[in-house]
Amino acid sequence: MMVARMLVSRLAPLLACLGLLAIWQAGALTLSTESFPTALEALRAVPAILGDRESLVNILASLRRMSIAFSVALVVSIPLGLMMGRNRFVACFFNPLLMITYPVPKAALMPIIMLWLGVGDIAKMLVIFLGVSLPVIYHSFQGARAVEEKMLWSGAAMGLSAAQRMIRIVLPAALPEILTGCRTGLVLALITMVTSEMIARQSGAGNILFNSLDMGQYDIVYAMIIIIGALGIGLDAAFERLRRRLVRWSEPGFEIPLSFA
Amino acid sequence: MIDIEDVSQVFRTSGRQDHLALSGISLAIEDGAFVSILGPSGCGKSTLLYIVGGFVSPTAGVAKVRGKAVTGPGPDRGPVFQEFALFPWKSVLGNVMYGPRQQGVKSAEAEAQSRALIEMVGLKGFEHFYPKELSGGMKQRVALARTLAYHPAVLLMDEPFGALDAHTRRRLQNDLLGIWERDRKTVLFVTHSVDEAVFLSDKVVVMTRSPGRIKTVIDIDLPRPRRRSDLLLDPRYQKYVVDIERMIDDTSEEVLRP
Repeated sequence: MMVARMLVSRLAPLLACLGLLAIWQAGALTLSTESFPTALEALRAVPAILGDRESLVNILASLRRMSIAFSVALVVSIPLGLMMGRNRFVACFFNPLLMITYPVPKAALMPIIMLWLGVGDIAKMLVIFLGVSLPVIYHSFQGARAVEEKMLWSGAAMGLSAAQRMIRIVLPAALPEILTGCRTGLVLALITMVTSEMIARQSGAGNILFNSLDMGQYDIVYAMIIIIGALGIGLDAAFERLRRRLVRWSEPGFEIPLSFA
Repeated sequence: MIDIEDVSQVFRTSGRQDHLALSGISLAIEDGAFVSILGPSGCGKSTLLYIVGGFVSPTAGVAKVRGKAVTGPGPDRGPVFQEFALFPWKSVLGNVMYGPRQQGVKSAEAEAQSRALIEMVGLKGFEHFYPKELSGGMKQRVALARTLAYHPAVLLMDEPFGALDAHTRRRLQNDLLGIWERDRKTVLFVTHSVDEAVFLSDKVVVMTRSPGRIKTVIDIDLPRPRRRSDLLLDPRYQKYVVDIERMIDDTSEEVLRP
């Protein structure tokens, strides 16, 4: 009984995926239109794309832009958010700025950015940077604000300077919250990556996707969606694993898994 | 050792009114004394402790430690808070070692000292536990060890046992007294429990409610080492408790003024 239950909970994600594919397959077979390939056709196109040198170069170019923009966004946003959380003047200065940019879809800025910076890497990375920054700043800000005053006092009594308290108390104390922001940021990075490539078509995973749509290669379109989706799930799971390692000290005793990590 | 000279504290409330929390407090505490500050809640007793700690600057007056005016926190005054304020990302050992490491003590030496302190507060075997894995009483033991680890001349204890159950509280009082009787640090201890204050202290400072003023300072003339079971039967102890309780009830009945 116990073993059976464990087995079911282990296999649940796999079963869910298989179920989804089965519905897709059945749906495509019933509709039987050209623009809706079956799951098997789409899956068969996946190795073809990954085996193609040019496609691979495109996908890697996307990932390169995404990882650079994501890293730069973390380096800028975490310190900014933490300082906003601990310093009223910094918060007063940056808060209105963030409130204006927060609800604007970053992809909507793409035309302006393209006018300024062209359709190259810089424009795309800037959009990704903007997409990642906001949740990371917000969560770092919340995390820093919630740090217990007495914890900082304890540090001050031990002789930590204000700068040391920021790095050695505020940063680790806010880390669980910061990493929550980073996880959201990572998913947003992938989304803005694809959108930026669909607007500024030049290279990348999004470019393959929309070019094949234009050319009516629907199995490639669906295969690319599978590849990008798998990439997202894989990145999220890897990050969740890293996050859990880093903040094991703050996790409650049990938890419901919210990822494939 | 500690000289508090005519200290007043005014807070600006959210309604933009000035609230006088402490008014004209003067107090001298000699080296090695265990002094409790006792008063009804909201009398500013914790604020007074924070002023000595340098965490809050007084609106008027000055606090001096060893003749030097307090301008900020420093390792000569070690706080222990009711909220424990442990570093949750550090193990018990990591927390206790934090102060000595910050003071430049070598890692191996800091670890040896910290392990000894952890044993002294009765937590041997828990060195690698994280704060979230400890009970309230254990957390406060770690907090005490963490503060003792950097050898402050003065311990500033802000209702340290206030969040603990009665049984744990008694055990910690006993252990604190045992530790204190060994090395006789100067202790400033804020509490609202009369028998805790009498049991532990050489001197009890009774404060009035809002604005906080010193009502009286009572010397507790009871022999040391003290044992709870002896004290509870001692009529002198009983008289101290009853007298002080009556005094606090009197101050509490005064009309509350904002």
